[in-house]
Amino acid sequence: MSGTQAVVVLVEDHLITLNRVVGLIRRRNFPVQTLSVGPTGMPGVSRLTIMMQSDHAAAERAVQHLQKVVGVHDAAVIPQGDTVARELALVKLRPSAEQYAELLDVVQLYHATLVDESLDAVVLELTGSEAFVLSCLRALERFEIVEIARGGAVAMESGTAELRFGAQPQLEAGAR
Amino acid sequence: MPFYHALPEYPELRHVLVRHEQAAAHAADGYARATGRAGVCVATSGPGATNLVTGLATAHMDSTPVVAITGQVPRAMLGRDAFQETDIIGITQPITKHSILVEQVDDLADAIREALQVATEGRPGPVLVDIPKDVQQAKAVGRSGGQAVGSKTKGRARLAAPPDRLTALAYAAGLLVEAQRPLIMAGHGVILSGAYDELRQLAERTGMPVITTLLGISGFPESHPLHLGMPGMHGEVHVNRAIQQADLILGVGLRFDDRVTGNLAAFARGAKVIHIELDPSEIGKNVATEIGLVGDAREILRELLARVTPRGCEAWHEEIESFRRERQESFRGDLSPAGILAAIDEAAGGRCTIVSDVGQHQMWVAKLYPYQRPNTHLTSGGLGTMGFAVPAAMGAALARPDEPVWAISGDGGFQMNMQEIATMVQEGIPVKMAVFNNGYLGMVRQWQQFFHGRRYSATPIWSPDYVKLAEAYGIFGRRVERGDQVDEAVREAIAQPGPALVEFLIEQEANVFPMIPPGASLSEPIEGEPAAPRLVPA
Repeated sequence: MSGTQAVVVLVEDHLITLNRVVGLIRRRNFPVQTLSVGPTGMPGVSRLTIMMQSDHAAAERAVQHLQKVVGVHDAAVIPQGDTVARELALVKLRPSAEQYAELLDVVQLYHATLVDESLDAVVLELTGSEAFVLSCLRALERFEIVEIARGGAVAMESGTAELRFGAQPQLEAGAR
Repeated sequence: MPFYHALPEYPELRHVLVRHEQAAAHAADGYARATGRAGVCVATSGPGATNLVTGLATAHMDSTPVVAITGQVPRAMLGRDAFQETDIIGITQPITKHSILVEQVDDLADAIREALQVATEGRPGPVLVDIPKDVQQAKAVGRSGGQAVGSKTKGRARLAAPPDRLTALAYAAGLLVEAQRPLIMAGHGVILSGAYDELRQLAERTGMPVITTLLGISGFPESHPLHLGMPGMHGEVHVNRAIQQADLILGVGLRFDDRVTGNLAAFARGAKVIHIELDPSEIGKNVATEIGLVGDAREILRELLARVTPRGCEAWHEEIESFRRERQESFRGDLSPAGILAAIDEAAGGRCTIVSDVGQHQMWVAKLYPYQRPNTHLTSGGLGTMGFAVPAAMGAALARPDEPVWAISGDGGFQMNMQEIATMVQEGIPVKMAVFNNGYLGMVRQWQQFFHGRRYSATPIWSPDYVKLAEAYGIFGRRVERGDQVDEAVREAIAQPGPALVEFLIEQEANVFPMIPPGASLSEPIEGEPAAPRLVPA
């Protein structure tokens, strides 16, 4: 099944390890859409989320390559139907005085948050799926957008399941 | 400097001073291939370290355990473009299995232990340890033995958990027994895991013919009736046709590299593929796979052996026999590569190790040399590194002092690392060197002849007088121009206690046949001289 695949990687929080993972992504031509990295609850361990435009088999192969990198604790693909993924965007706008009320309507409609307000500029925070963020950005185009900062998606599996790390069984009957 | 200052205190470490760092990496690689243990090379920071790069890339592509130790500028100077500073960890990152910058002297011993462990465990590969000068100068508290380092590599030796694993093995064994036209394709993994006996037993029990890839050569005896030969770009016609006609391929420790498969879309379209491989990321990478069996080749072959019932494949053998074609040889006179290789084998009584370089001679060695003993054929397969043979043969000769080790090169590759004759002389390493001299970079010339209208651009190559060169280094040298001179020259070379060099003036425009043109399928070989090639005006 093709589409967006979320690959999650737990790595040592050393720059060299991040460098190795990113080098691998480049070398093996992973079709990466976004990449995000941040700390986890475990000391010394960072969590990378790689969103890839590919089929499941390609994402599984990416996981197998990632698992070979020394410093990668583990990697896994989140099953596609069970992926909860969220992106964050900050948008700086310069609405005219007449547009201000309209802007507040948009903010309310999209459940965006006004995080900074100065004399003639505001900063909005948007959080949601990629589709939500894109749609919201489109709605904001009518105001003067000064700057957009988007983070890559972070993702986890829905439900109570903990992410199942480790290689999947190697029986691939009928794969041909 | 601090490393070398301390070295004489450890006489149990054999140090070999080479003339060029590339040769150090290849020699460590040759030693590693010959022994299965890590070969270690050492270079200084900056240019010394960058000169290792080709050797590390060679080891990486062929999965051999090499540990490179490099000097680095003092920690306080790192990142300031200091004299002879280079980011060797960054440079080598895509071509090493792992690399370690040692930032504290107390971590040094563990870093070396970790490097040796990572290089050799699982799928082997090169590891680089970069040690800043001030770390080398610091005093560490000696800790002999040290703690065992936990497994550093993941994604290895993970057989699917039972019951999936047992299902996969039973399913695979069933396919092996039921197939009408089955084949075994054996790669480097057979040699790395020492699965020689298991491979032979499985072939004999099932009657399956065995194909050995370039790096799988000497994993199965050439003279065995079930041995078919090498597949791929320069594989024999009957080998490639057998692949194309097969209904089942059991791949053992190979990558299904493009030189093996030809055009992937047309590769073995009627065959189900069972792939035994230590590295799960190789399964399904190039070829669609029915069953992937992840793990050590030897262990999995044993598991399969326990599950297959004896059977034969007589009709299939007859069919393959009917595919056999006489190889077109384009040699003039009686000095043929086959004759030279037969003489080398005979003079050594079948006990020698052959290290080949890259090019036409490499294909002749792969196709014609009668390998009977395991792991006696060493060559740079994946990277195709010209200049590999001479230094790698030094490493192999240090590992195998009781048999002749031959470095077989073309005149092009030989000139890339012939400076190492000095190392052989100084260190007493008795490598026997054979130079197949045709006055061309022959394989490139062959491509120019076939695909570029015979425009021999930058392929004619001048050589020095190799006999005088040998004389200059004070070693035995002999030039062979006729078939009747081969035996004596080879015997005398082997009889020398030290290194020896024999130059063979072979046919200048000999070609390697058959040949699958790049991008073509295994069903489209060129079997002889192309008819009336178009001449391109120079």
